[in-house]
Formats: sequence, C-alpha cells, structure tokens
Amino acid sequence: MGKFLAVVKREYFKIVWTKLFIITTLLAPLGMVAVSLIPLLMFSIKGNAVRLAIVEKDGRFLQRLTENLSTEKQIEKIQKASEDSLKDLNKSQESQLKQTAGQIGGNFALEEYKTDGKTLEQVKSELNQRIVDEQLDAYLITPDNVDKADAKFEFYARNSSDFVSKSVIEDSVNDSVRLERLSKVNISEEKLKEINKKIVFDVKSVDKTGSVKKGNDLGFPIAFGLAFLFYITINIYGSMVMGAVVEEKETKIAEILFSSAKPFQLMLGKLTGVCLAGLTQVGIWISTALALLAYLLVVLKSNGNLIEIPNITPSFILYFFFFFLMGFFLFSTIFALIGSMVTTTQEGGQFMIFIIVILMVGLYSVFPIVRDPNSTFSVIVSLLPFISPITMPIRIFTETPPFWQIGLAIIVNLATITAMVWVTSRVYRVGMLMYGKKATIPEVWKWIWQA
Amino acid sequence: METTLKVENVTKRYGDFTAVDDISLEVKAGRIFGFLGPNGAGKTTTIRMIVGITLPDEGQIELFGQKMNSTLQDRIGYLPEERGLYKKMTVKEQLRYFAALKGLSQKDADKRIDSWLERMKLGEWKLKKASDLSKGMSQKIQFIATVLHDPELIILDEPFSGLDPVNVEVLLESIAELKANGKTIIFSTHLMETAERLCDDIILINKSRKVIGGTLREIKQSFGKNLIALRCVGGEKVLNDNSLVANIIKHSDEIEITLAENADSQLLLRNLIENGAIITKFEQVEPSLNDIFIDKIMENNG
Repeated sequence: MGKFLAVVKREYFKIVWTKLFIITTLLAPLGMVAVSLIPLLMFSIKGNAVRLAIVEKDGRFLQRLTENLSTEKQIEKIQKASEDSLKDLNKSQESQLKQTAGQIGGNFALEEYKTDGKTLEQVKSELNQRIVDEQLDAYLITPDNVDKADAKFEFYARNSSDFVSKSVIEDSVNDSVRLERLSKVNISEEKLKEINKKIVFDVKSVDKTGSVKKGNDLGFPIAFGLAFLFYITINIYGSMVMGAVVEEKETKIAEILFSSAKPFQLMLGKLTGVCLAGLTQVGIWISTALALLAYLLVVLKSNGNLIEIPNITPSFILYFFFFFLMGFFLFSTIFALIGSMVTTTQEGGQFMIFIIVILMVGLYSVFPIVRDPNSTFSVIVSLLPFISPITMPIRIFTETPPFWQIGLAIIVNLATITAMVWVTSRVYRVGMLMYGKKATIPEVWKWIWQA
Repeated sequence: METTLKVENVTKRYGDFTAVDDISLEVKAGRIFGFLGPNGAGKTTTIRMIVGITLPDEGQIELFGQKMNSTLQDRIGYLPEERGLYKKMTVKEQLRYFAALKGLSQKDADKRIDSWLERMKLGEWKLKKASDLSKGMSQKIQFIATVLHDPELIILDEPFSGLDPVNVEVLLESIAELKANGKTIIFSTHLMETAERLCDDIILINKSRKVIGGTLREIKQSFGKNLIALRCVGGEKVLNDNSLVANIIKHSDEIEITLAENADSQLLLRNLIENGAIITKFEQVEPSLNDIFIDKIMENNG
C-alpha cells in the first residue's frame, strides 16, 4: 500500500506541479471566454462616423433612416438579438458574426442631398468627387418610388468591405422602406409589431413519474459539451500516460521499479495518479463553469429573463464525475498498454487511431441519444464497454434511465477496467524489459500469459 | 556459514530459446559472489529471477531461507545493467522515490540521501535534475539508489561499465565497505581482473549453463597445479624428462613449464637440485581468472 501511494504521489505531482498544468488549468476557461468575447470586442471598435449622403427627392426617407440608425434604436435591436441568440446556440459562427456586426452597428452622420434638377449622372460624378476629396464616405441613391417591387437602392462607398456599416445601412433601409410601404396601406409601426409577435412555444417534458418539467433548449449543447470535454481530456491525459510509460522504457528505469514493487502496483499507482490529476483539472473547470452559470442565472433573473437550466442535479454531477473517472481510467489504461508495447511515443501515435475511433463513436452517439434516450440503440451504446463512460452520462442527463441500467453500466465499466488493468500490467511487466523493438500483437498476446 | 541465496536447478525459457538451463548456485552471507560469463550467457536473466522480476519455469529460488516472494524484494538492492533515471526529476526526488518503493520512510531516506551524496561527492547536485548529470554521476546516483534502503543483499549487474578509473575506485571502496558491514554482494561482470580482485566465490556460466563454480581460491588452485615458472642454470636433462614435463616455453629470462599429467612439482624441484641446477626462481603459477575464463569458454564452445 505504501509503495502504491508512493507511485500515486509521484505521478500526481509530476503532472500537477508543472507550469503547463497550472497554465492550462487557468487559461482554458479564460480561452473559452476569450473566444466568445473577442469578436464582440473587435466589432465594438468603431471607426469615425460614416459620412453618408442620401440622394432623394423629398426629405421623408432621410427622416426614417435617421430614426432607424439612431443609437436608441440600435440598442433596442441588440437586446432583441441577444435574446434570440440565446435561443439558438447552434447558429453557425458566420451568421453569428454577421448578427453581432449588425447589432453593434456603426455611427453615422447623415446628410441630405437635394438633386435640384441635376441629372443622375451629374449627381454621381459630384458625389464621387466628394468621396475622392474625403469629404464623404458613402452615398445612397434612393429610387423615386419605393413602393415598386423592383425598387433599387444604389450604395456607393469608398470602403465597400466595411460590412458592419453596409449591413446596418441595408437593414435600416429595408426597415424604412417596409414602414414606408406599410404606411401607404395605413398600417402603423405599432400595429406591425403586434402582427409580427411570435407565438409562445412552451416546451415541457414529462418524465417517467408523470411529473411535468419545463423543457430545455440547452440540453443538447450541454450534453455534447460534456462528451467533448471527455474526449479532449482523455486525449491529453492518455498521451501523458503513454509518454510516462515510454519514458520509463527509454530511460531504462523499469527494471529498477520492477525489482522494488509489483508491476500491478506500479501500473495501478501510475493510472490513479494521472486520473487524480485529470480530475483535479476537470474539477476546477467544471466548478468554474458552474459558478459562471450560476452567476449568469442571477444576472438574467435580475433583468427579468427567466431561463430554465436543464436538469443539472447534484445526482447528475455525481454520476458524471463517476462515469468520467471510470472512462478516464479505462482509456488511460489503454494508452499505458500501448506505451508498454512500443519504444517511442511516435510509434505509439500509430495506435492512437484505434482510441480516436472508439472515442468518436461515443462522441457522436450523443446525437441519437439526445433524440431518443430510450431507444434500443441508446440502451446498447450506454452499456457497451469502452463507449459506456461517455454515453451513459448523456442518457442520465437527457432522461434518467431505469436504475438497473445505470447499475449494469457501472458493473460493465468496472469489469472492463479490471480486465484492462490486468492485461496492461502483464504486458507492462514484460514489454518494459524488451528494449529496442516494437512488439507485434502475437508477441503481446504471449506476454499476457507468460509467467 | 549462513546461506543468503540458494538457486536450485533453475530453468527459464523464452519460446524455443532456453535462456537459463538448470543452473544451481549458493551465495553465502557476507561474501562477494562473482557472476561471470560472456555477453548473452544468461547472467541478467538469472539475476532477474533472483530479484523477483520474472519467475523461473523450473527450479526454485530461496532467499534468506524463504522461498522468493515480493516481500523479500525490500531486502535486496539491485543495480540493473540497463539502468536510468527520470530525466526531469531532481536527484533528491528520485532517490526519495526509489527509497519509498523499497518501503523506506521519507525521514530516514532524507538523512541517508545526504550522507551518501556527500560520500559520493555529489552533495551540490542534490537539487539538480538528472538530465544535468554526467553519465558517471548518474551511475553513482543509481548506485546510491541501490543501497539507500540498507539491503542485506546487493546485486550489481555490470556496475563498472561506463565508469572512469577514478569512479571505479570510488565504487570499489564502497563495495569493500559494504562487505565490511556484513552485506552480501553479488555482482556480474565480464571483466575478469575486477572479479579476481573482489570476489570470494564465483560462478562461470556460458550458453545458459553453469561451467564452473566455487571459491575463487579453489578454482584457481585446481587450474594452477601444472604451471611452473622457472629461472635456473643447468638441469637440462631433467627438463627433457617427458614423464615430468609436458611442454617448455622459453622466455627471455625464465622458462614456463607445463607439467606432465600427474607429475609432482616437488619431484621436479628435487630432481633439478640433485642434477646440480642453480635455481633462482621456482614458482607454481596460478592462471589468471582471465586465462581460466578463456580456456573454459573455448573448451565449452567446442
């Protein structure tokens, strides 16, 4: 036991007392925040006010546009859009960017340009000259009659790639035209808002006991996020385990270790140490995320927004950690097995594809599981060795399965782990003393059964 | 004399290859036992079975009067031939770790680490990482790791390989000291001069089998009976006597005589004197261990 603990302690602190660990632990959440904040920040950097001339017969359009481009109107838009974006988190990055762009908007200095009987060509050349002289940034030529279906607005700008201004102006022009057209048929803006009001689509879920809970929109992103977290951490820590095993072979320490403790003790200690280190990191991440989520909830609530957080219950968190730990342990074992068979980490990389495939199957099973957590497929994948640690928590999260299934999954996982640790420590024991060449699968098979 | 280690008819096979074939040996407490043989003879495989890394297919190993088991590992200090250190760990941390794996408490380990590092003149390297050490320094650290838990039996597999002469001396002194403290030491080497200087007992193995074994004294004597170095004037008649002398090699100032089978060296001496030869040197020469080694291996390899 003392020896086992000595190994655990070494492996744990070897990982945790490193700059890399501290940096990644602190920076990963910051990085995620940064990824979502940077675009927002960048778009909020505004250039000088865009000087825009509106070419039209009467001043009516200018008035509407000025109203639409006003700061109050823009803020109103942003608020509305942010509510929308919370509703569909799955929107593609690009459309999100555009949306953000539209929301933040630019600031504009509008001027009216009276044609005063000049021809369109004259107007254009005059305004073009003003753009060249840098007195103006852009101008918009409005058609005589905006009521026509093919009404065309011409937008000339020095910098036509400033898509923020472009899209804001386009939106505003659209809005203005729409209002213009509506007013012609005697529909006021207020009336329009009423007409356009979305219906309330209230999703509730009914669970096994018949009690009704508020449904959740965040279910899928959270489920996929957890599975992804699992995938990433296993890859990082698995490679660490493999590296550590290969190091012991490369530096030829294995023989000293084996003359001091049983390979089983050494292997189990190594895996436990690495798992505890992984758990430390993921624990920090998850508790940070939970704290942020709680904070966000409070803020949203105080603003009058009520967003129901899906069933993240203490028992789910407990289950998640338990299954995470089992899966982590299991996959670390596989990495250790590979490490025992090869002579360099590069060689080990060749075997990684098997692990990646297994993990991918687990990761993408999330889709069918979230859609139908109790289908035969979902039940099978949640009980399948190697995949179960990823899929079972997702099932528990979406719709808690009967307890016997959870229990069976735990038994299956523990049995798989025991078998894998046994096999791995057998291979470790022999493989670590074989220097110079990578083992073949038949050789490894022999090692397992060798005395 | 107490027996520390008893290896009885041990055989180890890897597939079709028999790495160790029916080897028996006994190591007495407080003595230095030399495990000799050419590369690939089966020395390391035998040692791995003794320290409990692998199990014999046949035969049995008894240590300190008990059948070998993992609890006995703590009473052995083993310096393998293939040895290394964790590159990124400091000297102190690794020694602590190896000591912990041998069941030593950290408090005891720290005390001994300091005294051993001083003795090996490595005190200032205590907090350095292993990757900063020279090869010789690493070897000394590995030796410290071997003896830190004060084992009763110390097994050194090719301990001198890669060491410069100064460090060889440091290590030899330490081994002598361990012996003086009553430790039993087994070391394997193919350097016969070192073995000759250190060992009380030896075993010579070749091609997985034992060739000879016993105390160094006995073995040398059993090989040294028929060789005589002679410096004399006269007595040619005696030297030509085929019943006494099998072969003569004349060196610049002395003659090397191989005695005929069953001939008595004392009879040769008496005859020489009786024949009026003036003898300034008459020495019954023991062959060096190296000679025995080469002789036996050649004979064995047929």
